[in-house]
Amino acid sequence: MKSTKPTVGFYSITGCAGCLLSFIFNEKEIVQMTKLVTIVSFPFIHESAEIKEVDVAFMEGLVASPEDEEVLKEVRKKAKTLVALGACAHTACIPGYRHFVPKDSYARLMYEKLHKIKTIEPGPIDKYVQVDFTIPGCPPNKREIIKSVVNLCLKKQLKNYTSPVCVECRRNNNRCLLEENRICLGPITRGGCNAICTNSHFECWGCRGPTDDMNLPAFIELLEGKGFTKRDIRERIIAFSGQKNPKVLEVLP
Amino acid sequence: MAVYVLKKGDLEKFLLFLGKQGELIAPVKKDEVRFEPLKDPTDLYLDEQTYIPAKQYFFPQEQVLFTFQDDMIIPVVAPIKKRIFFGLRRCDLAAIQHQDIAFGEHNDPHYKKLRKSTILIGYQCTKKLHHWCFCGSMDLPDFYDLMFFEQEHHYQIDVGSAQGETLLKKSKLCRKTVVRISKEQKIVPDTNLLQRKDLGKHYSSKAWDSLVKKCISCAACTTLCPTCYCHEIKDDVPVSLKEVQRKRTWSSCQLKEFSGVAGNYTFRESRSSRFKHRIFHQLQYFREKHGVDLCVGCGRCIKHCPPRIDFIKVINKL
Ligand code: SF4
Ligand code: SF4
Ligand code: SF4
Ligand code: SF4
Ligand code: SF4
Repeated sequence: MKSTKPTVGFYSITGCAGCLLSFIFNEKEIVQMTKLVTIVSFPFIHESAEIKEVDVAFMEGLVASPEDEEVLKEVRKKAKTLVALGACAHTACIPGYRHFVPKDSYARLMYEKLHKIKTIEPGPIDKYVQVDFTIPGCPPNKREIIKSVVNLCLKKQLKNYTSPVCVECRRNNNRCLLEENRICLGPITRGGCNAICTNSHFECWGCRGPTDDMNLPAFIELLEGKGFTKRDIRERIIAFSGQKNPKVLEVLP
Repeated sequence: MAVYVLKKGDLEKFLLFLGKQGELIAPVKKDEVRFEPLKDPTDLYLDEQTYIPAKQYFFPQEQVLFTFQDDMIIPVVAPIKKRIFFGLRRCDLAAIQHQDIAFGEHNDPHYKKLRKSTILIGYQCTKKLHHWCFCGSMDLPDFYDLMFFEQEHHYQIDVGSAQGETLLKKSKLCRKTVVRISKEQKIVPDTNLLQRKDLGKHYSSKAWDSLVKKCISCAACTTLCPTCYCHEIKDDVPVSLKEVQRKRTWSSCQLKEFSGVAGNYTFRESRSSRFKHRIFHQLQYFREKHGVDLCVGCGRCIKHCPPRIDFIKVINKL
């Protein structure tokens, strides 16, 4: 008898594998999860890199090379639903930073010496294919990945957390780092991470991407009032999610 | 009601006594001042307003309301311990009363459960604790079991309830006095900052725009507000698909998703409508409905607003 369980595949292009690890850290739940879904592909578990037909594909990594693009398009073709897993897939994250750097400043040093590495302009996966849902974060919240799987199985509508990180940060009774004159991107960054960085007294660097509702001019004015330069603010914002925040380049050229 | 006297030197003993009657919660300073279980009476810190109000003890940031499985509802059973709060300011106390009204309207059992078995002991401010304290404009009630009024060598303790007086007697540290607390003692000097007016006439005023422009919709104002009670309710479905938890979590009218409904419609889409909703709910709508303002004038929403949006100035100019 053919199983009616949905099939799920995990795939990886340029990235650090941290997103896949985040999933694996759900040790207990994964065993239970196999009752709900069949995992047909997972880089650490399955030796074969064959891309199979699946109901849901989770794609980790950004497109930074021609091979990435090929793999991504193949996965998209074979998946009914494509989920961008983690910040690289969502925003191009840190590896995408070179998008904001003049190419001749690095190409000569790195890629031309290593002839084998072919590179293209780095970009999030939705620059190349249609993405049905995004699990943001560097790394993504492990609970959020599991929840998405459960919701997909229950055929519930997937919904992203849209409120800024500050909401969870304040709920956790943290002292606000802006009051300490530190650049914290919490007010313009989508939450859902339970403010994991600011809970440890570390500024939010915006890895989950900008909120739709951000008031960027007001936020910049606020930071400038604290003595930060336009350059400080720009560099901070583009580090993790610049490609998802084109407004930054408009206001902070 | 009756007034008792406690020598200043006996405060520590009194706190130790309270700690034996239940869990004692009072302001403690770490990186910020918060209401925390007071382990050592010397940790008590009364020089600043608490950064975080006491509301989380009655209306927690996240609360499991019940668990359900198939068609069965499994209530949350947790023993209710007696809690004694010390060092609540007049604004903090009034805020608890206002939340009682808000949650009382629907007879909320989850709030009620945490709210009962508590003793509220206040500490009257002799001077304003920060620049934006405006309790003096808000006509705050006497809402306490006991209220401490600091004098040079002793405290006058105003009794607000029978359970408060029983506690004082049991401590054997206080003596009764014929002195009464005057009206003046109950008002903090220089805190009448806000001119009260019928805001209903000014909803469309352009004056709000300059404030809205600076607002980053971070919801610090409502999260740190001791009276804000808005929340969302969501189900947490585990992978086992058994024992689903229905959870209530703090939310805020400053967030776009807060007024989102089915069909992708959002009632308060614009930042301006959200910003004004907070001010109007705090200083107009709640009074229209319940006869008392929701806001207690603690000023936290100005002091801790990152761009420090001062609505007092704007309202005074309307
Ligand atoms: S520390 Fe950062 S995330 Fe937390 S409230 Fe302040 S700005 Fe927001
Ligand atoms: S608002 Fe009034 S009661 Fe509250 S802390 Fe300030 S001075 Fe004290
Ligand atoms: S704290 Fe200030 S900036 Fe943040 S939502 Fe409230 S009014 Fe706006
Ligand atoms: S609205 Fe502001 S001043 Fe009024 S009670 Fe809330 S935090 Fe305090
Ligand atoms: S001000 Fe906003 S968050 Fe606070 S109680 Fe009113 S509607 Fe709720």
